[in-house]
Amino acid sequence: MIFKVIAKQELAKLFEALLANRVVGPVRKGSDKNGTPIYSFEVVYDFTQLQLDYTSTQYPAKRFFLPYTETLCTFEIAGDSWEKKVDFNIYQPQVLFGLHACDINALNKLDKVLLESAYPTPYYASKRKNMFIVGIDCEPQPYCFCRSMGTDTALHGFDMFLTDLGKKYFVEIQSAAAYNYLKHMQTSDPTEEDHLRYMAVEEARHEKFMAQVDTTDLTKILDMEFQSEVWKHWGDKCLSCGTCASVCPTCYCYGVAETVDLDLKHAAKMKHLHSCNLIDFAEVAGGHNFRPDSHTRLKYRYYHKHRGFVEAFEESLCVGCGRCGEACLANITVPEVIASVRHEEI
Amino acid sequence: MERLEFVDVLKEERPEAPRHDLGSFEYTYKAEITNVYPMTEQEKLYQIQIIDPEKRRGFTFRPGQFVMLEVPGIGEAPFSISSSPIRRGDIELCIRKVGNLTNFLAKVKRGTQVGISGPFGTCFPVEKMYGQNIILIAGGLGIAPLRSPTMTVLENRSRFGMVEVIYGAKRPSELLFTYLYDMWRKFDINLNIIVEEPDHTWDGPVGLITEILQERIGALRDVLEQETYAIVCGPPVMFTFVCNMLMAAGLPMHKMFVSLERRMHCGRGKCCRCNVGSTYTCLKGPVFDYWSVMNLKEAI
Amino acid sequence: MSAELSYMGVDLTRPRVAFFELSSCEGCQLQLLNKEASLLDFFNLLQVVQFREAMSEKDDTYDVAFVEGSVTRADEEERLKIIRKRAKILIAFGSCACFGGVNQLKNRFADQDWVKREVYGDFAIDTQPVRPLADIVEVDVNIYGCPVKKEEVERIVTDLVVGKTILYPKYPVCMDCKANENICLFDLGEPCLGPVTRAGCDAWCPNNRMGCWGCRGPAEAANVEQLKNIMAEHGFSSETLLDRLECFGGFSAFVDGLRQPQQDTGKQGSGI
Repeated sequence: MIFKVIAKQELAKLFEALLANRVVGPVRKGSDKNGTPIYSFEVVYDFTQLQLDYTSTQYPAKRFFLPYTETLCTFEIAGDSWEKKVDFNIYQPQVLFGLHACDINALNKLDKVLLESAYPTPYYASKRKNMFIVGIDCEPQPYCFCRSMGTDTALHGFDMFLTDLGKKYFVEIQSAAAYNYLKHMQTSDPTEEDHLRYMAVEEARHEKFMAQVDTTDLTKILDMEFQSEVWKHWGDKCLSCGTCASVCPTCYCYGVAETVDLDLKHAAKMKHLHSCNLIDFAEVAGGHNFRPDSHTRLKYRYYHKHRGFVEAFEESLCVGCGRCGEACLANITVPEVIASVRHEEI
Repeated sequence: MERLEFVDVLKEERPEAPRHDLGSFEYTYKAEITNVYPMTEQEKLYQIQIIDPEKRRGFTFRPGQFVMLEVPGIGEAPFSISSSPIRRGDIELCIRKVGNLTNFLAKVKRGTQVGISGPFGTCFPVEKMYGQNIILIAGGLGIAPLRSPTMTVLENRSRFGMVEVIYGAKRPSELLFTYLYDMWRKFDINLNIIVEEPDHTWDGPVGLITEILQERIGALRDVLEQETYAIVCGPPVMFTFVCNMLMAAGLPMHKMFVSLERRMHCGRGKCCRCNVGSTYTCLKGPVFDYWSVMNLKEAI
Repeated sequence: MSAELSYMGVDLTRPRVAFFELSSCEGCQLQLLNKEASLLDFFNLLQVVQFREAMSEKDDTYDVAFVEGSVTRADEEERLKIIRKRAKILIAFGSCACFGGVNQLKNRFADQDWVKREVYGDFAIDTQPVRPLADIVEVDVNIYGCPVKKEEVERIVTDLVVGKTILYPKYPVCMDCKANENICLFDLGEPCLGPVTRAGCDAWCPNNRMGCWGCRGPAEAANVEQLKNIMAEHGFSSETLLDRLECFGGFSAFVDGLRQPQQDTGKQGSGI
């Protein structure tokens, strides 16, 4: 790993150099009714569009690597035979400029199941392998519980990571591609003072976390509390609308639907991200539904994220970004649900 | 401005060495329905052949595994392979009309091209059962996944002790693979069939599968604890009853295998639709030993 | 029109199709004539024998009847029964046909005679309480929406011709809305029925920063009770919620429990 420091104004030069590719970054999309800014990840063309001091975006950058709807393949039908065309739907490298640690860790978690497990998916792999990530440090928000999930810092999975030291950025370089871009900026080696400043900044940040989740023995507790009444409490509130999954940077569950074109000569296989809270998630052909009740679906969501994934990969499928709780109209938040399952006061 | 290099993932060297090639995810085998055999009102047996001869020969599977079958524009769904593994990429699938894909399949003619991917999932560990007695129990359409291990047992008859097949169906008209019963009996398989609602053609036992099982358990009691394996396929209510009866009679849980059925959209551990508790049926299953099933939340 | 239809070697019949309208604005039928790029392919799948908005020929032998509008008169009821007898598949086309639609708002008034006088004056007119098609005849397929979405009609027609089961999204509009990465309308201070309304419209209204009015009726696990709390929490009156829930008639089963029973005169019906 290589560390550098740059003066803040140098960053625009890096951005300019990266603009030869498609660059995606946080921009201000609007404001809510109270005038609070709403941020989102969009394709950017100008450095001034970027809002690098953004709190957090309502939606993760998921649509750029795990689109909500994706055509997996198309068919040309001729009589009772056909030709299949597969397209991974990526044609140029993408730069994600300004991801927070939680979103980088989300990608690392997705890598485990979509890239490094049996049957890696080429649709994700092709986007992930053609991704250049510039991470940036963040200001913990009241709903952020990434520190509890161990995802408040990104140890890998990015090309470059920026930490704001006041007048300059502390830059962590993790790839040859990122190193290659350094020549576009004026960089210097960090001094002892920079190191101390970096550590002070990190420590100050750690103090700011407010929300937390106790994950001690959580897999066992979830098993013990499988029949607990608290699930029904949350199930009654749940709208079964799938919003939590849609705004989740790690939710990858999906459904496949095939469609025949109007001309009956073409067909397509579409993938739509689904959510385990939707009523038909566990429905089988013939109509039987394995999880007809709202609380069984909500419970399953927690089982998958905080138990099943831990069992498979030794870590939870939650980065503690808090987006699901913020987006949930019924105010169902991960810290509260888990605290209630642990019989803690909420 | 400086462009990043574009990576073609299908050509890239992958140091992390995934177990399966990225290219196999969506580039499935093109196959042809070579014959369709109507077995009942609801179920047909489809003979499906992978078209490329080399890929057909290279297609190896184990009894209990499943494939994803796709008809372009209509749908894709998982089906347990019903044929013997020695036939390789010349497989047979027993399919009931229940949904979009299967209703359309009921109408296609032989010669139609379909997509096959797989084989996926776990299998019945038939080799592990060598030298032992084996009880194969099926309820209803459960005979479809049971037929492949039954064929394997039959082809390796000398390697097994007593072989019992217990099969229960609602009505005589719903019995599947009827053309095989004589052959199975002649190959020294003790075939017991029971129906719930007999008609005038039926002169065999009448009742639930558990009744005939009770009777067979009585006959096999001495061997159950030590030298017997069971394979059970059917709806959850049925296999729970059956396995609990066998357990009470002394058959250890790890020597009973069941096949779970869930709706899968990928078959590859990605879509999460088949998860039971938090276990992927497509990767850790569909075949589980009964101990694992008992430990799966929501399985029963 | 090309010769016989087939798909994957399976021969298909081109259904004889007729379009009808009862009490409605005929806007759903107009939608059928939109989307010119695929119009020829769309009509190639069908053999249209009656379509007042598009042709003058008329033939009463048909397999599939698309019926737009709700039933508000005795003659419409008779007409619908005849259509049902002739058609193998009867499609309730649009929210009026599925739920009564905007028309059924008049059912909210306790005093129907007052409504009649207010709207038609002394002009004598036969008008009964509004009913959806399913109250009178058996409906085989519903196509929701006010108006229907052409893309969805195309899919349903293709599925019908190919022999696929007609499936609708069972989940609510939120799912479509989030897939478009819209800002939640509640964040913008707007009421919205998205959390309880059946998806499939691609969040047409929320995409344009308009809260959902529930024209497609309830999603299959619609938690209206919780939406009531959410609306209150965001400072919307129960009247605001009721106005939306009652607008198209899809939520009639949920409304009864929500509305205060003290409606004495017809004039107090709000939101009109």
